[in-house]
Amino acid sequence: MISIQTVLLAALDGLSYGAQVFMVAVGLSLIFGVLRIVNVAHGSFYAIGAYVAASFGLFIAAAGWSPWLTYPAMALSACLVGIVVGGTLEVALLRRIYGKEQVLQLLVTFAVFMILEDMQKAVWGVRPYFIDAPLGLLGTVNILGINYSIYQLVVVPLFAVVMLVSLRYVLRHTRLGRIVTAVTDDREAAAAMGVDATRVYLLTFMIGASIAAFGGALASGATSLVPGMGAGMTILSFAVAATAGLGRIEGAAVAALMIGLGRSLAVYMAPEFDVLVPYLIMFLVLLFKPQGLFSVQQTRKV
Amino acid sequence: MLRLERVSAEIEGVVVVRDASLDIASGATVALIGRNGAGKTSLQRLIMGALKPRSGRLSFDGHDLAGMPAHRRPFLGIGYAPEDRRLYGSFTLEENLRFPGEVMRLSAAELSRRLDLVYAVLPELRDMRERLAAGLSGGQGKMVALGRALVAGTRLILLDEPFQGLAPVLAQRYGAALRGLRQADRDIALLIAESNPALLSFADESYLIERGEVSRHGTPRAPISWA
Repeated sequence: MISIQTVLLAALDGLSYGAQVFMVAVGLSLIFGVLRIVNVAHGSFYAIGAYVAASFGLFIAAAGWSPWLTYPAMALSACLVGIVVGGTLEVALLRRIYGKEQVLQLLVTFAVFMILEDMQKAVWGVRPYFIDAPLGLLGTVNILGINYSIYQLVVVPLFAVVMLVSLRYVLRHTRLGRIVTAVTDDREAAAAMGVDATRVYLLTFMIGASIAAFGGALASGATSLVPGMGAGMTILSFAVAATAGLGRIEGAAVAALMIGLGRSLAVYMAPEFDVLVPYLIMFLVLLFKPQGLFSVQQTRKV
Repeated sequence: MLRLERVSAEIEGVVVVRDASLDIASGATVALIGRNGAGKTSLQRLIMGALKPRSGRLSFDGHDLAGMPAHRRPFLGIGYAPEDRRLYGSFTLEENLRFPGEVMRLSAAELSRRLDLVYAVLPELRDMRERLAAGLSGGQGKMVALGRALVAGTRLILLDEPFQGLAPVLAQRYGAALRGLRQADRDIALLIAESNPALLSFADESYLIERGEVSRHGTPRAPISWA
C-alpha cells in the first residue's frame, strides 16, 4: 500500500526536479524560437553548469571561505558557461548552419553534444561530485513527518519561478524582449525594421545556455553529478518543449512540472516506468493537442 | 537617390532578377509593374538586403547597399512593407508602429513626429491603436504595415503589392492614403510593386518587370504591351 508520505515525498522531489527541467527546457525553447535550431547539445550546458558550480563550491570550501559564497558562485558559473561555452559555440559553429537542412543541424549539434560529454569526463572525471554547502546551510523542514531539505523545497523552485517571471517580463515589456519576439516571428521583417539578427542570435543563445547552466548549478547543490546527466536532461527538456509547444514560456513551466511530478511519482511507485512516464505524458498531450498545450496565436493572413 | 545598375540575383540557382537598372529620385512615386512571379518581390528584397546580388551595383545616396547588412536600411531612411504584412501578432497596433523607432533608438520627439505623420495619413489607425495586431483584418493589417514602413523609412518606402487582397472600398481608401502621404511629405520616394497598373495611375513613372528583366515604361497610364 502506498502511504501518503510516499506520495508527498514524490511530489516534493517532482517539484524540485521539474524546476530544473524547466530551466533547461525554457532555454531550449527560446533558442529554437529565435535561431530555428534544435540544439541537441542543450543539456550539456546543464551538466557543465553543474560541474563548474561544484568546482567553485569545492574551491570555496577548500579555501575556508563562507559557504554562503556558493550561491553567488552558482550564478557566476551559469553566466560563465553561457557566455564562454555558449558564445563560442554560436560564433564558431552554429552561425554556419542557420537555414540549412535540419538533418545537418541535428548532426552538428549532436556532434557538439558528444564532444562536450567527453570534455566533461576529461576535465571532471567519472567519479560522482557532490557539494553539500548549499543544502546544509539551510537545513530541513518537517512536513507531515517527512524531513525535507529547504534547499530543494524552496530555493530550487523559487529560482525557477523568478526565472519564469523575469523572462516573461523581459519578453513582454522591454525593448530587448520585443526584439527577440520580432526575430522569433520573422527574421527578415525584423531586419527591415533595423534589427541586427546576428547579435540577437548570439545574445539569445548565450541567455538560453546560461539559464540551462543555472539549472545545472542549482542541481549541483541537490544531487550528485555523474556523467550522462546532460543527456538525460536534453531528452527530458525535449519532451517538455514538445508538450508545451515550442516558444511558450508558461507552457514550458506547466509541462516541466507535469513531467517532473510524473517522473518522480513513477520513481517511488513503479520504478520500472520511470523512463517511460515523461513520454507517456507527452504522448497523451500531443494526441489531443498536436501543437502542444499552449500553441501560439497566429496572425490572420486574410 | 536609389540607383540599381545592371543588378542580377538568383535564388537556389534560378535567376530571379536579370541585369536590372533602376533610378529613383527623391519625391518620386514609382510603379513597378509585373505579373505574379515576374520578380517584383525579389527586386524589393534585393534592395532591402534580404537577397544578395550576384552582380551589379546598388547604391543609396552613394552608399553601397550590396555590402551593407540588411538591418542598416532603416538607418538610411528606407522602409519596407512586405506583401504578407508580417505584423507582430502579439504586439498591439501601436507597438507594431513604434517597433522600428524603438529598435533604432529614435528620440521620443522624433518617434512621435513620425507617428503623427502615420496617424495623419491613416487616421483610422488611431482608434485601434491598443488592439492586438493578431486580431486585425487583412485590410487593417495592410494599413499598419504601411504605417510601420513610414516609421522605419523617412526617405524611401517600398510597398509590395499593397492592394493585393483588399476589398474595393479598402483599396480605394489605401490609394487615398498614399495620395495623402504624397501631400504630407513631398520628399519621400515610393516604389510600389503591383500587378494591376490601373491601381497606380497616380504614379509619376513606372518600370515593367518581366522574368526578372526591368524596363522603363514612362507613366503607368501608358498602355502596356507584354512581350
